[in-house]
Amino acid sequence: MTPDQDWKQFICRACGLIYDEQLGDPDSGIAAGTRFADIPDDWVCPLCGVEKADFEPYEVVSVMPMSGGTPVKVTRGVGVVIVGAGYAGWAAAEAVRARDALVPITLVTACEGDRYLKPELSIALRRHSSRESLVRETGIASAKRLRVRLMHETFAVGLSPALHQLRTTRGNLQYTSLILAQGARPSLPEVLPAHLCWRINDLDAWVRLKFQLGDIPKHIVIIGAGMVGCELADDFMTAGHRVTLLDVQNAPLAALLPGQASERLRAALEGAGVKFMGATQVAGVTQLAQGVKSVWLVDAPAIECDEVVVATGLVTDTRLAVGAKLTINRGIVVDPLTLQTSAPDVFALGDCVSIDGTPCRFIEPIAKQAHAIASAITGNVDAPYAHSAPVIRLKTHSLPVVMHGIPTPNGQWRVVSETPIQLKMAQQADGVDCCTLELG
Amino acid sequence: MNPTDASPVLLKYPSNDVLGRVRQIASGELASAAYKIDHEGFYPAGIMQTLGHAGAFGAHLDRNGQQFGLAIDAMREIARNCGSTGFLSWCHDVCGLYMEQSGNSALMGGLLDEHVCANTLGGTALSNPMKTFAGIEKMLLRAKRVTGGYRVSGALPWVSHIGRGQYCGAIAGVYLDDGSTSHEIMFLLRCDDEVVLRQCPEFSGMEGTSTWGIRLDDYYVSEDALIADPAKPFIARIRAAFVLLQTGWALGVTQGSIESMLEVEPLLGHVNKFLDNRPDELQAELDDLSQRIQTLALTPYDGSVDYVISVLDARAQSAELSLRASQSGLLHQGARGYMMNTAPQRRIREAHFVAIVTPAIKHLRWEMARLSKQVLPA
Repeated sequence: MTPDQDWKQFICRACGLIYDEQLGDPDSGIAAGTRFADIPDDWVCPLCGVEKADFEPYEVVSVMPMSGGTPVKVTRGVGVVIVGAGYAGWAAAEAVRARDALVPITLVTACEGDRYLKPELSIALRRHSSRESLVRETGIASAKRLRVRLMHETFAVGLSPALHQLRTTRGNLQYTSLILAQGARPSLPEVLPAHLCWRINDLDAWVRLKFQLGDIPKHIVIIGAGMVGCELADDFMTAGHRVTLLDVQNAPLAALLPGQASERLRAALEGAGVKFMGATQVAGVTQLAQGVKSVWLVDAPAIECDEVVVATGLVTDTRLAVGAKLTINRGIVVDPLTLQTSAPDVFALGDCVSIDGTPCRFIEPIAKQAHAIASAITGNVDAPYAHSAPVIRLKTHSLPVVMHGIPTPNGQWRVVSETPIQLKMAQQADGVDCCTLELG
Repeated sequence: MNPTDASPVLLKYPSNDVLGRVRQIASGELASAAYKIDHEGFYPAGIMQTLGHAGAFGAHLDRNGQQFGLAIDAMREIARNCGSTGFLSWCHDVCGLYMEQSGNSALMGGLLDEHVCANTLGGTALSNPMKTFAGIEKMLLRAKRVTGGYRVSGALPWVSHIGRGQYCGAIAGVYLDDGSTSHEIMFLLRCDDEVVLRQCPEFSGMEGTSTWGIRLDDYYVSEDALIADPAKPFIARIRAAFVLLQTGWALGVTQGSIESMLEVEPLLGHVNKFLDNRPDELQAELDDLSQRIQTLALTPYDGSVDYVISVLDARAQSAELSLRASQSGLLHQGARGYMMNTAPQRRIREAHFVAIVTPAIKHLRWEMARLSKQVLPA
């Protein structure tokens, strides 16, 4: 194998996993050096399980090498500043660096900036994952490779677009372009105390929960049976814990799936051992002796458990944007082509943005958004962003769910095919198929 | 409790043109005394009273319509001419706020009337407790429950805007017989003969602020003197207002520095244009910041985490800006501003105090980081 074989990469539209032809996928029996076209059609994404057809070419623009390998002198006055070191923040850093080898890039992050795939967190217990196995590249290594000044454990506290000034807990930064990649944070209903309830939205939280669970089977109550709640329930159960899954709706994922499909998902989760309690409202959580927690329910007896995990959706943290008077509508409003916010030279991508009034909290569009921003700030508007509905994949071991397109509340669902192990459905709106769904 | 020689008059809060009158006093009588205050340690009690009568120290109180924006603007006018007196104004403002927010009728009537007019003078001794509540220091004053009140002992290294016959808000940890602490109390500490006032070492700046070390030995706190028992919920409620008011002082030091630059522009502009932090840049940042502060001043008792972080951010930025502006002010003036009787060199020392007084820049950042962290099960 020689370096000039022009290896290509392909990205999973559902979870962002990258198939690299040079490396192959040995765990699934695909040898290194296997062309994507030569992979059998029944091969599935090793992370989330979507089919080969849901992969698309992933273009990597190569970084111009630095002359003589001398380190870049990063000046403090100008350059690109990125807030957030999740998938979106690093995607932006990669994209900007690919187009401009010299521009100083500063990345501000509340955590260590280590790079991992967030979708892996909800299947990580059954895989016996650890922090080390989940981290693909440390923040420090990425920063060195991309020549990024990494300000870790640093919080962005204030933004003045008119001054091109970002204020942080480690001092002020001037920027020529600012990229907000702050993500979204788990919403926590007021009745649930933060110090008793886990929210699994980042690697640190997952590592701490894993440590707390230890090696002995525990009883875990999960509040919220949306995508994350269902996946975690499935994962904890498979890893040997006892799980009670609560939701205000009658069936899991009822806000997204038609009744027939969510009933099937409920049956699959229950078949796997998860105790699902629908139409259940939580009144509060209190600490009892020896770490035992009590989950209080409205109109039902309290449940005692070892740990409580809350998965009741995500919200955009808008403090920075509000202080900077950026336009907000369920997220930071961005131009659908350039991803620019309402302020000049301030861009945003990933979970924190809203496009046409809708937040888009999936991993797949992020790399494209990053390229659009990088092209806009490096003066080339050759790569505008084109928004499309991502593939939704529920990584529940007991019953995988794949959805193409976004369902509309008034659309009509119909069954395409139905067997005891598989259900296919489609939704029509205004006479056109807008969404397809596959369970099993 | 009357440290000034002027006769106590005008107990009614003036209803109009507070800012105009304060500006006049600050740019006249106060500006003339600034050198004496800074260099000779002259405590401007009389000028404080004149300012008090003009309404400089009451706008933020509920009884006067909770006009925090006006209180900050008045403090800014004062600090623009003398940073030490700007700091005294903040001390005086928050002491009035403690008295009014206490809900203790013994502190809210005639005593507060006299305080708002600055017929009597009093400050704040909360540096140590504020750092204690943030997890940075240990509480220095210790209280013990006795019939009808508490007995307090301990020492505080430096408390400003006090003196014999004056007073300040203070906090002590309440100790039980077994040596454990139950809670904290906040009280109005009257500096009568029971209280030992110790001369402080000479500081680099901020002379004339009547700053003393305090020693208490079984000092009796009656229920009439209690501001809050327990103190923690009270502090949580007033903390943002306490910090927000300080910005008026920092904005004034910054504004004064920009004026020093503009003063020499006709003479030195042809070379000063090579400097960083030019007056127009600093003024743009000052205006941006002032606007945000005026918005924050509309809801001083909003206890949400987002609001508190925004206030701490504004306070930190105001300190950083005053450091940059005062430094640049001296560079713009050159040797003219380096003479001991000029404002630019004095403002450098004033700005350093803005940056290190509680909450210092480092404490503000520490607290913003703490408040920004996600709380998870331990």
